[in-house]
Amino acid sequence: MITFEHVTFFYPDRPLPALRDISLQITAGEFVLLVGASGAGKSTLLRLINGLAPHFTGGQLRGRLSVHGLDPVLATPQIMSRHVGFVFQDSEAQFVTDRVEDELAFALEHAALPAPAMRLRVEETLDLLDLARLRNRSLDTLSGGERQRVAIAAALALHPSILVLDEPTSQLDPQSAEDVLTALVRLNSDLGLTIVLAEHRLERVLPFVERLIYLAADGNSMVSGDARSVLHQIDLVPPLVQVGKALGWEPLPLTIKAGLRFSQMMVNVPAPSSSPPPQPIQPSPTVLQVKGLTVQIDTCTVLHAVDLTMRAGEIVVIMGRNGAGKTTLLRSLVGLVRPQRGDVQIQGRSIAGRTVAEICRQVAYLPQDPNTLLFADSVRDELWITLRNHGLETKPNAGQVIDNLLATLRIAALAEHYPRDLSVGERQRTALAAILVTQPQLILLDEPTRGLDYAAKDQLAGLLKGFARAGKAVILVTHDVEFANGLADRVVLMSQGEVIATGSPAEVLSPSPFFAAQVARLFPGTTWRTVEDVLVGVCTSGQATNCGG
Amino acid sequence: MKNPLHPLTWALWLLADLVILSMTRNPIYLGLTLCWIAVISVAIHWAGIAVNPQRLLAPFHFGLVVVPLAALINALNVHIGVTVLFVLPRALPLIGGPITLEALVYGLLNGLILTCIYTAFALVNQVLSVRAMVGLIPRAYYPLAIVVTIALTFAPLTLRQLQAIREAQAIRGHRMQGIRDWLPLFLPLLLSGLERSLQLAEAMTARGFASTQAQSQHRVARLGLVLGLASIVAGLWLHLVGPSASAGSLLTFSGIASVVGGLWWIGRGQARTVYRPTPFQRQDWLVATAALCPVLLFLLPLFDRTSLFYYPYPTLSLPEFNLIYGMATWGLLGPAFLPLRRSIA
Repeated sequence: MITFEHVTFFYPDRPLPALRDISLQITAGEFVLLVGASGAGKSTLLRLINGLAPHFTGGQLRGRLSVHGLDPVLATPQIMSRHVGFVFQDSEAQFVTDRVEDELAFALEHAALPAPAMRLRVEETLDLLDLARLRNRSLDTLSGGERQRVAIAAALALHPSILVLDEPTSQLDPQSAEDVLTALVRLNSDLGLTIVLAEHRLERVLPFVERLIYLAADGNSMVSGDARSVLHQIDLVPPLVQVGKALGWEPLPLTIKAGLRFSQMMVNVPAPSSSPPPQPIQPSPTVLQVKGLTVQIDTCTVLHAVDLTMRAGEIVVIMGRNGAGKTTLLRSLVGLVRPQRGDVQIQGRSIAGRTVAEICRQVAYLPQDPNTLLFADSVRDELWITLRNHGLETKPNAGQVIDNLLATLRIAALAEHYPRDLSVGERQRTALAAILVTQPQLILLDEPTRGLDYAAKDQLAGLLKGFARAGKAVILVTHDVEFANGLADRVVLMSQGEVIATGSPAEVLSPSPFFAAQVARLFPGTTWRTVEDVLVGVCTSGQATNCGG
Repeated sequence: MKNPLHPLTWALWLLADLVILSMTRNPIYLGLTLCWIAVISVAIHWAGIAVNPQRLLAPFHFGLVVVPLAALINALNVHIGVTVLFVLPRALPLIGGPITLEALVYGLLNGLILTCIYTAFALVNQVLSVRAMVGLIPRAYYPLAIVVTIALTFAPLTLRQLQAIREAQAIRGHRMQGIRDWLPLFLPLLLSGLERSLQLAEAMTARGFASTQAQSQHRVARLGLVLGLASIVAGLWLHLVGPSASAGSLLTFSGIASVVGGLWWIGRGQARTVYRPTPFQRQDWLVATAALCPVLLFLLPLFDRTSLFYYPYPTLSLPEFNLIYGMATWGLLGPAFLPLRRSIA
């Protein structure tokens, strides 16, 4: 179905190839997962399949390519669109019209399908992705997951035999991401559609993929094969596989169910009491105090009597469904939303009557889309601009502060780069630098793990832990269960604008079927939540085979 | 309930409105026209075609502001007329001089015409979706239609983006004081807009959209378009200043025919279909014909036309009323009968 023979691809004006000497073969009906760090050439490989590269991007191609018996370069993307459906990362930017039905009909109208056939085709496609009840909705009223399902439906309207998706869930919360991935699994198993998917969230799709293709960071080497054999060779794997690999479980479990078979056979799993006791909380100064915060937006109560206290050095994770009021809570802490009742005190001072700019000298707030923050010509300029906004640029040690911060965030080498050319993770750290340069004591982050791969997530977690050790208080809103479990000192669970539970991750998250980490599900009855917990715990009880590494 | 009229019918209705509004300044005919627009607004709201009553009423609120404002501006600027209400000191630039009742009334009529135009457009905007309006663009201009669709869906997206960027800059301590402070908002907006356009272009390419078409076979039709437009202009010129009005009319009409024919011919060559096409039905013929009647009556010199040309200067007089023209405005009422159709069906 898809054949690459020694394919090398250069983007215009780049000395190094984005892909080098790639050879692979994908047969009809296969579900192929493409993984690799950001910048490894995943998007390029996908765009070669339907001819977008080089037709849209420009560039130079060597080697031979064949898709559905056609050469995508000779055939042009227009012809390839009949055989290959393509779904992009950002669901919002790929729509032409404003209504679900019209969006599905767009490509069909363009292909001049007769009206009755078109009617039938739209109905089929709506049912295929379970969109029938949304058919008349305006696209901007849909949730992220629904929008991405519309994008998939629109790509399938022309009845392609191959569906290519470029990180379709990276902008979505886990529930929406699951919906999308479940839909893909169904399309593959029911229709025999060939699917090529680039994706960071391996947890959900691993059990269903027939083949895993791993691209190394420089686009130079590639590992391809069935999921288990490739997982053995790469580091970008979910916690379940990490545990399996470390403890030598064979065959490598891809689902919790398979993993439980191994974990339950293990004897001497330490009882909960043997885990390290929680460290006594030192009386550190209060950084944030929220009392009875109530917010109404358009007669709808979004937050109801929320109380929250944070001390220096604490990391608090706020979790809950979409629309539970998490983002509104963060926004009201910096004055972007003004409460009807209640008060917010930051380092003992109420924020009432202060402007957002003033409050943000004490609080760093990273919104969901860090791109909105960035506009300067270089990373270093971004930091200077923030200082100038606050009238701090004349301070004697300002240059030193900037250099230190860039080094801490590991973007010192990028200081003179243009921020929008950086990878997602680097751009996020640049945005962080731009708001942290005033040295605030409170850091708020909204969904910081969106679009990050495992390596970038680890890096972010390390940074946040460092900030906490330096005495700052960190609040983050996330749907990322593994990230929350690995990082949180305290978890706040919200629903319908109210705080419904608060406590340590072990108390709040582990018992929950939805928020428990993979490790907690593998070892119920322990307080283990991360791979490190398991390795430390198991090695001290001395039963693992390969503890040394 | 879905809008049961063809978009073209609404467009014709709107055109008829505009023709009448441009032909007369008689307050009675203007008042009648506004009245019928209001009746249709209520009727389609009642029929559940337009669902947002607030947006239906808003244009009439607009009238409440515009009519007095237009009257005031005209009275302050135009100092002709016999009935002097009071005199402003002549030392005042522009507004100094006698303030007359005639100027006030003339301004009032201007405001009334503006209100009629605005409410008519607002009404059509309420009943027609973006898609239906784009469908009115001739098929020969399919790429243009796509561009319009995208522009219309981009606008709200850009507004939301601007809001997000404004907040993001406030977070970085940005304070809005002068014009220069807009730069940090404008740049990210422009950049993200460009990025989004590129993404959309890529997505559309991936979905088979390409605007490259073999254009050569349309050469004759294109020539017809150009010649048609030229003969319309020449015809109008002959009609206005030239010696032969009838030759002018002939030229104009043949020009229009040539343009319509040319567009049809080019459109025929576009291999494209329409999802859920709206058929032009009996009620469309009825409404369109009804709207055409007042247009013909107002345009053609069939009856005594003096009542159309109401002019308050120099002395205010009561407007004349000709029953034929008054009745003719009834032709605009067609869309008001849509709810009836539902109860019959």
